[in-house]
Amino acid sequence: MTVHAAIAEVDAGAIALAGISKSFPSANGALAVLDNINLSVRPHTIVALLGASGCGKTTLLSIIAGLVRPDRGEVSFGGRPAARFNEWRSISYMFQEDRLLPWRSTVANVEFGLEAGDMPHAERRRRALDALKLVGLDSFEDAFPHQLSGGMRSRVALARSLVTEPVTLLMDEPFSKLDAQTRAQMHAELLRIHSLKHMTIVFVTHDVEEAVILADEVVVLAPRPGRIREIVPITCARPRDPTESSAIHAIQHLRSLI
Amino acid sequence: MSEHATLAAPRSGMRIGLVGQRLTLLAVLLGIWWLCSLRLPHYVLPGPQRVWDALMLIAGNGDLWSNLAITLERVCIGFVLATLISVPLGIMLGAIKPLGEFFEPVLPVLNTVSSAIWAIFAIIWFGISNATTIFVVFMTAMPLIITNVWQGTRTVNADFIELAHTLRMPARKVMTKIYLPTIMPYFFSGARLAFGFGWRVSLVAETLGSSSGVGYRLRQAADLIQTDQVFAWTLTMIAMMVALESGVLKPLENHLFRWKKEAEAQ
Repeated sequence: MTVHAAIAEVDAGAIALAGISKSFPSANGALAVLDNINLSVRPHTIVALLGASGCGKTTLLSIIAGLVRPDRGEVSFGGRPAARFNEWRSISYMFQEDRLLPWRSTVANVEFGLEAGDMPHAERRRRALDALKLVGLDSFEDAFPHQLSGGMRSRVALARSLVTEPVTLLMDEPFSKLDAQTRAQMHAELLRIHSLKHMTIVFVTHDVEEAVILADEVVVLAPRPGRIREIVPITCARPRDPTESSAIHAIQHLRSLI
Repeated sequence: MSEHATLAAPRSGMRIGLVGQRLTLLAVLLGIWWLCSLRLPHYVLPGPQRVWDALMLIAGNGDLWSNLAITLERVCIGFVLATLISVPLGIMLGAIKPLGEFFEPVLPVLNTVSSAIWAIFAIIWFGISNATTIFVVFMTAMPLIITNVWQGTRTVNADFIELAHTLRMPARKVMTKIYLPTIMPYFFSGARLAFGFGWRVSLVAETLGSSSGVGYRLRQAADLIQTDQVFAWTLTMIAMMVALESGVLKPLENHLFRWKKEAEAQ
């Protein structure tokens, strides 16, 4: 997607959550997981959902993705209710695990992101190769997942989420299984791609430092039931360095909240 | 890539060593056979030369090829029928849990029934015809393929299904793009086993209920005490099976599941 096209779709990238509540059945009655979540995400920004485990952050992301239906409340994209928003290609979801299909080569794994529709194979292949180039893996198109390192697998998963040229990218702790150095590389990679593609990113994390490095805004969730404790804008200049004083300050503030 | 290059040299060296070993083994067995045959009458144990002559005879007059073709055709029909029925059944049993639990005891029971018993039933039901052999191959191959496909469906990764859902993939595509590739290795090993078994039991079936095919000719040769021909047919069958196994099935499996084999080797 070109910058021009991204600007034309300004509205589509905006996400609004109104009065989202969700509970799951449990042994002692319904367990409230999310309680009255109201949030609006500005288009093209990066928003972190931060909280300890059990605060419902992954459930919230699944609700935004349409994987889980809320008991009450509504999700809308670009002002349109999610229920009537059926352009599946404009929303991508990246899981905590890379979930690469072991029987497919790298490029075929990326193509998988486009196979729900009926795009011709040659076109899929071309786009998949472009996406691999974007994440710096264009010379590994024929490798099988088991031949790749953790960081490379993560890049393939990222390419699969990007191949649809999404307006919104939802990420569920996508780098949490990587070692610290690789994770830092992936952060830089994601920010570089964001500066090219300008998609709206909502990502879940329990890592305060990750939230500060990536996000424009951090939504801190309080647990049981999950609710918004505070929305903290991160104003440090990019590229961010977690050892710099303003970043340290933000990290300390967020730590005090969770 | 560089790893492959360094591995290639010792591997090809090993291969030459292995071929030498196999050839030596063959020579030793032939030698023992030849020595034994010297002391026994030819209708009990014909020597290698006699068997070779018998083989040339049946190959020369077309007997060998026509009967091999008939047997192979019956095995293939039985095998293909078994595949067509077993794959959907196996997927169904795996995908619908209560159904699988209900029918679970049937397969081990089917597997314990001797192919000779299937042959007897087949003669009662179908008489001396192609259907008899096809039925026996079918009944032998079916439980093997069902069991393997069923096992395969149990290993389908729920994470991949969820991934497909986030992509809004329709159920039909989830079936062909997630279920089928997961099941393939299981199906293939089941099918290989089933084909091998089918090939062997087809001879039993042809011996009992057929007027053509390798099994029928084996019995005929035995009845006429043409022991050299019995040996010739037997060697042909062994050669055919080895050729199919190492020339077609094994390379095909290696190619189809290269992603898996290498993963296991790591």
